[in-house]
Amino acid sequence: MEHNERERGHTTGRRSFLAAAGVSVAGLTGLAGCLGGNGGGEAGAVADAEPLGEPVTASGVSWDDLGDLEGELTIYSGRTADQIDLIFDALEERYDDLTISRDYDDNNTQVNSLIQEDAATPADVFYSQDPGALEAVRAEDLVQALPADVIDAVPASYRHPDGLWTGVSGRVRSILYNEDRLGETDFEDADDLPTDIFAYAEDPRFEGIISTRPNSGTFRGFIQAMVEFEGEETTRRWVRDFMDQDPQLFSGGSDQAEAINRGGDDDPIFALGNSYYGARLVNEDPDAPIRVTFTQGDAGALFSVAGIAVTRTVDDPDLVAEFVRHLLAVDGQEVMMEDNGEFPVIEGVDYVGDLPNPADLDSPEFDLSGFDMDLQDASRLLEEEGMEV
Amino acid sequence: MDRWSLDAVQSRLREADPWMGVVAAVSALFALLIVSPMAWLLWQAATVEVARATELLFSSATARVTLNSLVLMAAVTAASILIGVPLAVLTTQTDLPYPRFWTIVAALPLVIPSYIGAIAFVSMFGSGGQVDSVLGMTIPRIQGLSGSVFIITLYTYPYVFLTTRAALVSMDDSLIDAARTLNHGPVAAFRRVTFPLIRPGIAAGALLAALYAISDFGTPAFMQANVFTNRIYREFNNFSVEYAALLALQLIAIVAVILVIEAGIGRDSDAGGGRERGATIRLGRWKWPAMGSIASLGIVTLVVPVAIFVGWLIRSQGDRIPALEFQPAVAFNSVYLAGLAALVACLFAVPLAYYSGRTNSLFSRVLERATYLGFAVPGVVIGLALVFLGTRTLPSLYRQGVWLLVFGYVVRFLPQAVGTVRSSVLQIDDETLEAARSLDAGRLEIFRRITLPLIAPGLVAGAVLVFLTTMKELPMTLMLQPIGMDTLVIKVWQAHDALAYRYAAIPALFLILISGVTMVVLLRREGYEMT
Repeated sequence: MEHNERERGHTTGRRSFLAAAGVSVAGLTGLAGCLGGNGGGEAGAVADAEPLGEPVTASGVSWDDLGDLEGELTIYSGRTADQIDLIFDALEERYDDLTISRDYDDNNTQVNSLIQEDAATPADVFYSQDPGALEAVRAEDLVQALPADVIDAVPASYRHPDGLWTGVSGRVRSILYNEDRLGETDFEDADDLPTDIFAYAEDPRFEGIISTRPNSGTFRGFIQAMVEFEGEETTRRWVRDFMDQDPQLFSGGSDQAEAINRGGDDDPIFALGNSYYGARLVNEDPDAPIRVTFTQGDAGALFSVAGIAVTRTVDDPDLVAEFVRHLLAVDGQEVMMEDNGEFPVIEGVDYVGDLPNPADLDSPEFDLSGFDMDLQDASRLLEEEGMEV
Repeated sequence: MDRWSLDAVQSRLREADPWMGVVAAVSALFALLIVSPMAWLLWQAATVEVARATELLFSSATARVTLNSLVLMAAVTAASILIGVPLAVLTTQTDLPYPRFWTIVAALPLVIPSYIGAIAFVSMFGSGGQVDSVLGMTIPRIQGLSGSVFIITLYTYPYVFLTTRAALVSMDDSLIDAARTLNHGPVAAFRRVTFPLIRPGIAAGALLAALYAISDFGTPAFMQANVFTNRIYREFNNFSVEYAALLALQLIAIVAVILVIEAGIGRDSDAGGGRERGATIRLGRWKWPAMGSIASLGIVTLVVPVAIFVGWLIRSQGDRIPALEFQPAVAFNSVYLAGLAALVACLFAVPLAYYSGRTNSLFSRVLERATYLGFAVPGVVIGLALVFLGTRTLPSLYRQGVWLLVFGYVVRFLPQAVGTVRSSVLQIDDETLEAARSLDAGRLEIFRRITLPLIAPGLVAGAVLVFLTTMKELPMTLMLQPIGMDTLVIKVWQAHDALAYRYAAIPALFLILISGVTMVVLLRREGYEMT
């Protein structure tokens, strides 16, 4: 396959480039005509795609009970290749006639690309780690409803009410910290750490040694959740108090986790972030000092999902629908738990993993599809309170 | 300029020339193509309501980040000149041993994405880093605006180095010898003879360093410095693309002012000259510190990142992550894309640089300057413009083949070739061309046999610059590549994102090796003489 790619590139690369160059000028003059055009090319509806085998249910079905996957799927993923390739590989291995083309990019870039591509997108499925991103493509009317059995299998708070996107696996907001450096702080041990998210903004013991990553989707989700839970004024106060802690503000989740783990004098000792970063670093190096803890019953322990939406222009609705069923079946959920340290979203699937059981975590209930404050406003709120990177 | 001066008359005659007319038309077409993505920015920005636009453009936050970006740009430019020009002189005008090797070492940092350099630098020298845990020695914290200046300079000075070097190589050394025989010391000879001749070359590289610094996002973000590109990215990350477009246009407006100012500094100076190689500056004992300083620069910028990644490779006991594993096709893809981008950029650059170098008209200068706009805008913004234009012009070919991506590279990196070729064109001696014409040589023949060899050093430098920067380009590649076509830098990025740096070791090593080998090949074409 690589060889073919190479051949094709060689023979047509230059010619097609020149052709494109010529057309681009023509395209500009014709631009006005195209702008604002909605495209809207509806292929067959995924919602109408009947199960090829058993339907998926909340009690969990096995891959063996589902229909075969045949054909080609193109997936735009905001999630990273190391997390998602494994399940795609497992499916390709299982079904000889299945090819999954994977396009990896930054999550926010994928959303912007999908919006600009509109009906011309090559993507069948958008796979994102952030409900806000899924909601953003939904709001642009780029996606279509999932089949009824899929909608019914997933709890309402983990999906769009009309099934325009659904969560596939869960993750929890957490506190990351460097275990070896607790001695430098005024905390006795890990048990001494507060379980209230407000303490991380107000307790002077965190001053100068805490960090977060304001531009991440899940941090914005956390802010949206806090607005819902505590009201806007309290949330603004939390942000202001947190900024008074003189926090380091990272632009990358990996960079933040790496700084906690590295543990230099200038690096933060605590960070608000997603729990799986800790798991990844410990996987790379069993002696890594990074650890995870959770707040209780507040937005700091927001249970969020990674999930999917299908575009309005899918080539093969039956294949796409059956693919989604595979993700939500027991085997698919187990891949997410084992390889990514994530949580299942299907009630009938038991959690197996190193983290505390989601049932013990005391994450508050939130409807991820309908926060009171939208994402842009949450972002403005952060900007207005001086949290910007 | 006095409109009746000899120069003006000559340039008018040239403009009336049908050959120059064709060159002008081709240049105009190319320039139009290159700025075409800006139409998307204008259209997007036009949808922003006036009140919000005013707020975005004139808020105190915008003023603050604008100031930060200008400071970043000025400091990076100055520091790049201070490093790049002496290195260029050292590798071309002195008896430094192994000049070609040192040339490659001094140019290669350009191929490392600066944010990767930043990550490596902090893990090596920062507190809690490798040096710290072994020797207990840390450098002061590299952070914020000054940290960004430091890191970006380390990976951007090669712009100045390469363009200055190209100007030095195509300069007539006999002029310096003449100056030296007239009892000028080497320093005085440099100041009074060499410097005026290579000034357009230095200016071309300095401009590129400046534009790289102002459009970079990754490094300031890593360093937690709040600059203009951060604001663009914040809107981009909020999916408010129209605001991002408006801010990108504001950045372009700022850069346009700089381009006009620079047009004055880098203006024509008729260097004239064949390429006699004259006597070189003897370094004597100074050759050791000279080699030592280039070597330490190479160690900090090239060896450290690779060593950091290899360290992870050795220490790690992590599970295999098949998605991140290196495949040879990835290296091939990088070279293929970078080679294609360099080739197309040179094709575009020749008429544009020739036209603006040989005529003095405002029109030719505007065309040449217009090619710089794409380089001032973060790649992700140009990428998004091309996503839109690509799907609306040729939807069936969108993400099929590499045409759109290569076009994107040319939009971003063309000025690197235009600048270097133009400074070579400026050095062409009018009398040589007149002589050829008087011998009844055809236009194309003169171009092929006289002009082209004379501008070869500029073309090679331009090709090297475009090649190296394309090798490290990430955001547009991720957006526009045929789906699944990975490059070396994509692999490094994936390893970084997955916090599995061990997988960055091999692609990073290949990035440096392949770029080094390519430079050897390209430098040979320039007719580099071992001195």
